[in-house]
Amino acid sequence: MKEQLQQVQVPDSDAARDRAWPLVAAAFEAHEPAPRERRRWPLALALAAALLVAALASPPGRAVLDDLREVVGVERAQPALFSLPAPGRLLVASNAGLWVAQQDGSRRRLGAYREASWSPFGRFVAATRRNELAALEPDGSVRWTLARPRVAFPRWAGTETDTKIAYLTGSRLHVVAGDGTGDVDAAGLPAAARIAPDWRPGGGFVLAYADTRGRVTVYDAASGAVQFRTPPIPGLVSLDWSPDDRLLIVTAGGVEVYGAQGQRFRRVPLPGVVAAAVSPDGRRIAILRRTEVFLVDTTRRTTRRVFAGAGPLDGLACSPDGRWLLVGWPEADQWVFVRADGRRIRAVGNVSEQFRSRSFPRVEGWCCTR
Amino acid sequence: MVARTGREERAWVRGAQAGVESDLEALFRTHWDHALRAAYLVVHDAAAAEDIAQEAFLAAVRNLDRFDRRRPFGPWLHRIVVNRAIDVARARALRSESALDETLAAPADPASPDRSVLGVLAGLPPEQRAVIVLRYLLEYTPGEIARLLDVPRGTVNSRLRRGLDAMRERL
Repeated sequence: MKEQLQQVQVPDSDAARDRAWPLVAAAFEAHEPAPRERRRWPLALALAAALLVAALASPPGRAVLDDLREVVGVERAQPALFSLPAPGRLLVASNAGLWVAQQDGSRRRLGAYREASWSPFGRFVAATRRNELAALEPDGSVRWTLARPRVAFPRWAGTETDTKIAYLTGSRLHVVAGDGTGDVDAAGLPAAARIAPDWRPGGGFVLAYADTRGRVTVYDAASGAVQFRTPPIPGLVSLDWSPDDRLLIVTAGGVEVYGAQGQRFRRVPLPGVVAAAVSPDGRRIAILRRTEVFLVDTTRRTTRRVFAGAGPLDGLACSPDGRWLLVGWPEADQWVFVRADGRRIRAVGNVSEQFRSRSFPRVEGWCCTR
Repeated sequence: MVARTGREERAWVRGAQAGVESDLEALFRTHWDHALRAAYLVVHDAAAAEDIAQEAFLAAVRNLDRFDRRRPFGPWLHRIVVNRAIDVARARALRSESALDETLAAPADPASPDRSVLGVLAGLPPEQRAVIVLRYLLEYTPGEIARLLDVPRGTVNSRLRRGLDAMRERL
């Protein structure tokens, strides 16, 4: 009987499984794990729990926690990028060129470009070769190109009707209109350091860039007026505007937060910072520090460690809906997707191979929800 | 993908509860075929069986946090599948649906009854189909089936006996 029942073929069963899994995975994605029910622990168990917490706070205990993360990351990694955990598309730079990875995991190579950024609404991509800035469609079609020497760090900003791209050519900061016209050198401004400039969100074209002396200048690219300039800041890593007009200056020693008028609000000392990313709603700041990722909740003023790898991490991106972080783990050749509440982790392995790269691919942007 | 040990499956459940999608996928890959086949053998409609198996997994995801990770995942899922399948089969019987499934819907010769296991099983009441599927496909003991279906063990034994007798006659 068992044999006969097992031999019954369900019509279309393979297709049924293929149809079911995405639904189940989507439900899992949307599912918020409920906190475990609190119980009245006997005193001895409560004491043991307290000791465990204390142990986890100690360096050996943290190593145990790291091991757990490592097991989740390394041993349970998906062999390929089957899908992104949040809406949007990734822009990825690898040895083999520039790629767009769609939410369903499909990838398209745009061409032999080295760096890139999304246009404000994700309709176009600003990409660079050694001596060329190009505007591309997400399918790789070239809209326009501009020949300039040693082009780097393209950053695109603006509205539906008016956009501009900031980029570096050598040590000069340039700004060009989104249609490739009106390219201008930010005349009179000091030479730029090899750090990506960043546009202030909202209206207007206000740009922050770092100069070779380590100062950060905020200036209006439309009028050319300098709004403020910081004193030299050692160990500059990156510049990031938050949606609420705070300028995050990430340095190797921590994060400095400036207001739009140049007032320094605070300095968060955190040695070894490699990167930072601000969530689109500005409520969270992710900070990547060597092997750890911290999440700062700016409204609750809390900081939590949401991921720890067994080796150096490199690259940090925030999903367009702000719910997920993407962290690169080069030694493991993995991307680790960490949900912003730190309660869900999804790892994807074989990243280099998937982007035909000899080195670990770099995520240039995660855009957009529409 | 088949769980090599109960420990491995418990690890998948723990991982899924912690939010690791690949562990949920391992559970899905391990249990999908049995869940779909069990539902199909009870309702005899591939589309309905797909819906039932899918709903069972969605219910499992919704209730994942409440699942006692010391218990095996299979019985938990099969309980949802089989009970739902019985409900669907009963509802269909009440509506006197004629199209049962792709195989049975258009028999080559209506005069000659379908004497395959599937055809004979289709002639049984849904409750008897369910216990036969649980006993012989999913290999639960009568005591376990009683707990899964929330009926007395004697009821399970009598449904099994009547169902098997009827099948023997028709086969």
